[in-house]
This record gives sequence, C-alpha cells and structure tokens, in this order.
Amino acid sequence: MIAYVLKTLWRHRTRTILTVSGSAVAMFVFCFVGSVQEGLHRLTTGSDADRSLIVFQENRFCPTTSRLPEDYARKIREVSGVRDVMPIQVWTNNCRASLDIIVFNGADPAQIEKSRPLKLVSGSWDQFRSQRDAAIVGRSIASRRGLKVGQQFSIGDLSVRIAGVFESTIPSEENLIYTSLAFLQYTRGLDSAGLVTQHEVKLTEDADPDRVAAAIDEKLRSGSVATKTRRKGAFQASTLSDLVDLIGFAHWLGYACVGLVLSLVATTTVMSVQDRIKEYAVLQTIGVRPLTTMRLVLTESILLCLVGGLSGTLLAMIALSLGGFAIGAEGATIAFRPTPNLAVSGSIVSIFVGIIAGIAPAVQAATVPIVKALRQP
Amino acid sequence: MALVELHSVSKSFRKGDETITPLDDVSLDIQAGEFVSLMGPSGTGKSTLLNLVSGIDRPDSGQIIVDGTDVTKLSRTQLADWRAANLGYIFQTHNLIPVLTAYENVELPTLLLKLSASQRRQRVELALEAVGLSDRAGHYPRQLSGGQEQRVGIARAIVAHPKVVVADEPTGSLDSETSQQVQVLLQRLNQELNITMLMVTHDTEVAGIATRQLVLDRGKFVDRMAGTQR
Ligand SMILES: Nc1ncnc2c1ncn2[C@@H]1O[C@H](COP(=O)(O)OP(=O)(O)O)[C@@H](O)[C@H]1O
Ligand SMILES: [Mg+2]
Repeated sequence: MIAYVLKTLWRHRTRTILTVSGSAVAMFVFCFVGSVQEGLHRLTTGSDADRSLIVFQENRFCPTTSRLPEDYARKIREVSGVRDVMPIQVWTNNCRASLDIIVFNGADPAQIEKSRPLKLVSGSWDQFRSQRDAAIVGRSIASRRGLKVGQQFSIGDLSVRIAGVFESTIPSEENLIYTSLAFLQYTRGLDSAGLVTQHEVKLTEDADPDRVAAAIDEKLRSGSVATKTRRKGAFQASTLSDLVDLIGFAHWLGYACVGLVLSLVATTTVMSVQDRIKEYAVLQTIGVRPLTTMRLVLTESILLCLVGGLSGTLLAMIALSLGGFAIGAEGATIAFRPTPNLAVSGSIVSIFVGIIAGIAPAVQAATVPIVKALRQP
Repeated sequence: MALVELHSVSKSFRKGDETITPLDDVSLDIQAGEFVSLMGPSGTGKSTLLNLVSGIDRPDSGQIIVDGTDVTKLSRTQLADWRAANLGYIFQTHNLIPVLTAYENVELPTLLLKLSASQRRQRVELALEAVGLSDRAGHYPRQLSGGQEQRVGIARAIVAHPKVVVADEPTGSLDSETSQQVQVLLQRLNQELNITMLMVTHDTEVAGIATRQLVLDRGKFVDRMAGTQR
C-alpha cells in the first residue's frame, strides 16, 4: 500500500516537489531561528554564565568605553568567594549589532589556558605564549574568515599572527580571538597601559554569585573608577539587550514557519484527496477499511512533511556547521550552532505537522459517501 | 437456501421536495452459480440494487442476506472486510487506479486477505490469465484499450475468489466488438469458475448471456422471466 502512496505522490511530482521544497525552506528558516534562540539561551544559562562574574565600568556598555585599572584584580582576589580573576582587554571592530563581528580578548596566555575550556585543534600553546603578537582564534571565526595557523590577520590597527585554532565547549567563545593582554593594551589607538576593559571572576564552589558581585562593587567603590559586577550570563544578555528583544521576537518567525509548512502540506493533501475522492470510494468498494484509507492519506501528508522538513533541517545543520555564523554587539556574540536537539526538534515538528495537516483530508477520504462519489463521472 | 436473499427491500432518495423510491418492497433470491441479469429503463434503481447487495449503500427497510450474513447489520468497517472476502464489483467505467499497473490493480484486493506472497502472486497471475491479459501485467491503465481496462477491472473483481460478483453495466462504455469479448468472458467465468453473478445492463443482447433475466420498473420487478432460452 505504501507503493500506492509513493506512486500517487510521484504522479503529481510537480505539486509534490513544490510542496516539499516549500516545506524545506520553511524548516530551514525554522532551524536557523531555533539555533539563534539556542545560542542566546546558552549564553545566559549554564555554568559559565552563572558561575563567573564580569566586572565592568559602571554605566558603560561598549568595551571601548570601559576602562578599569588592571590592578583591581588584586583587590578583587581578596573578596571572599573569589577563586580567580582574569583581567581582560576587549577590542571589537564594531560596537553595534553585526553579523561579522570581530572580538579580541587580551589576557594572560597561561591564565587563558588554565581557566577557559579551550582545546586547540591546530597550532600550539607554546607558540601562543612565546610570541608577543600571537593569537589563537575560535573555530567559528576561523571558518568564517578562512584563517589558518601561521597566517597574519589584520583588522583596523591590529595585526596578529595566528598561533592556533581552538574549539570550546562554549559555542559563543568560538567567535573570539585571544591575544596576550600586553599586546592588546599597547595597540596603537587603544593606549591602555595598566588599564583593562573588564575582569572575569571565577567563583569558589559554594559562593553566592550575587552576593560576591555586590561585595566586589562595594570594595571598589573607593577606587578611582566605579564598577558594576554581574553574572556573565546577565552581563552578556544586557550587552546584547537590543538583540535579545529582536531574537525574542524571532521565535514568532519560527512559529510562522511551522504554520507555513502546515498550510502548504494541508493544501496539497486536501487537493490530492479531492482530486481522487472517487479513487477512495473505489478502494473502499474493493474492501479497504475506512481507517486504512485514513492511514493512506496521513502517510501521504507525513511523507511530504518529513521529506521537506528533514531536508530543510539537514541543510540548516550543514549551513550552520560550515558557516560559523554568529551575531554580536558590543563585544558579546551569539553563536549559531547545529545541535542534535535542533535536528530532533526539526524532525519531530515535521512529523507532527504532517499528521495535523493530514487529519482533515484523511477523515474526508475515510468517510467518503461511496455511492455518491462513484456516481461522479 | 439461496446465496443472495433480498426480503422486502425499500430504498428511496430525497431530491429537494420530492421523494423518489427506486426500490419499493422488493424481494429476490439468487442461487449459487446463477447468472442474473437486471434490465430496466435508466433511473429505475438497478444500480441502487447492486449497491445495496454490495453494502456500499443501505436500504431504508428490509433484509439483505448474502451467504447467511445480513449485510444491513454490519458497520462500515465490517462491510469493508466483508466485501474484501466475499464480493467482487465490476464498474461500468473500470475505475482502475491510474498510478498502479494492471498487475498492481489486480493485486490490490489480495493485499486485504491473509495470503502468502506466493499465493498472492499465483492468484493475480491466474486472474490475469483468465481475462487474457497476462502479457499486459506491467502496463498502466492509460496504456491499455477500453476493453483491456475493463478486463483488468474484471480480473480485480474475481481475484479474491468472491462468492458473488456484481457488475454495473460492464459493457456500457464499450464498442460492440469489445463488448462481445467481455460478454464471452463473463459467461465463461460463470460457467467455468462457477461464479455467481448479478449484472445490470440495458442491452437485451448482453442480458441474454445470463441464466435468468429480470426487469425492474417503477420500484418493482416486472415481467419476471425465470430461466430463459439459455
Ligand atoms: N445518492 C443518491 N442521491 C439521490 N438520488 C439518487 C442517489 N442515487 C440514486 N439516486 C436516484 O435514484 C434513482 C435510481 O438510480 P440508479 O439506481 O442509479 O438507477 P439506474 O442504475 O437504474 O439507472 C435515480 O432517479 C437517481 O437519480
Ligand atoms: Mg445505473
């Protein structure tokens, strides 16, 4: 009987192909939107987001405007609940929202290696530590910009030699370029000797992040520059707040895509059943049960959705893994990654939509008034 | 006991304000192995009678018993199963499934029965052979002539070895030569395979191949000619 369904779909291949490709495009967009949502969610949750703090200059947003003394690190270390502090100089080519944002983080190489969840996929830590202008670049930006170990990479006044490409368990980090702190501080135009953009604080196991954050700000109040300390997740979310609204809105786009697939496949299936209503009457005259008739129609709509949905999902996964896409603003980035979760939800949505789209025509085919349909010419 | 029994069957349709009653308290017995033809002016309820016997339509009153089963008492699903096992339906316009080959069209009813793959293949091949179309098994309906299509339709109706085959003007849309072939075929199926047939036609010549001829007019059987010259 499945042969009958396949042959029916093949008979109307133009219609089938149009429906399948329409569904594929919609599911492609659905996965992309989902991937952005996931990226944002990852950025604001998880242990990195919740168990580290960012100390930033009060009332400043763009990294170029936050200037904290480097030796605040020493004072912060004295606060109880603080396990480690890493002073970071941030440089970005674009403080506004951008799809091709380049963000440099300058910090002590040894500290980067120790405290960040990085793994070099090529190059070496030794080289990164030993050369002043050495940089290690995240996998996403490397694939987006076609960067390889040994190359020189220049942007604006910055020029670095790539000592390694790294992957990270935190996808948004794969959009970063790490250099040594001193290198970025002495870059022409930045003029930041002794100053850093922010301090990243690692907490001890039992520390309460919000209490430690308040303690840090309190302690530094007497210093030359007032600070605002937040959890890393909250910090990134507020940095990206314009984008967060936009991304929150984009989930409607995801629903719209599902609706689009639904109406597309439902229309095709309704048309297909109405065209062949007499055929279903003939099948039932031969002895095909109403429920089996229903199943035939549902198989048709599920196949349409599944083939379209799976290919759209697959294409999205390929695009996401090859593209290394990221959207960012003010030094924080959201990575779009293909995740198993996304692939599974794309597939489940496809099957689900296939069933919903097929129900009405399936019932129509199952309950066809046999005699009346047979009397049609 | 007769194979098919209709007891006081009535059926009427509502068309706007007027009610038409094509079958008004009709009774009929068909013995196993009989070939009954049913004639009458068009619109008198011949097809309706076939549809009631097939269980694709329901009477307003009366009983229809086929081989001991009262088909008026079965649910739609039970009727489907019952038809799959007991009834073959030959349509005026063959009504083959256009996307399936002749072989697959004939195979369709066997998929509804519990048969092994080899039994199934054997049945389909025999049925195609019976209608003389073994060499056209792989052809699609659009690649067949009208007469060939109708013969595939006949093979499909007999492949499940039904107890009764009903045929609604099986030659109605064929030219006289192919009509002739189909008549010979139906007669052979009745005589050689002993298939019980109930056939509607409005062609006296076609009706002549039956072992009993009935005429329906204004809701009743008229001029009941049991056992004609044949
Ligand atoms: N489903 C139906 N709805 C309304 N009227 C019908 C329906 N089926 C048949 N009829 C009417 O019942 C009468 C008998 O129809 P039918 O059995 O097809 O006649 P025949 O086959 O003898 O030409 C006709 O007048 C037809 O219009
Ligand atoms: Mg008729």
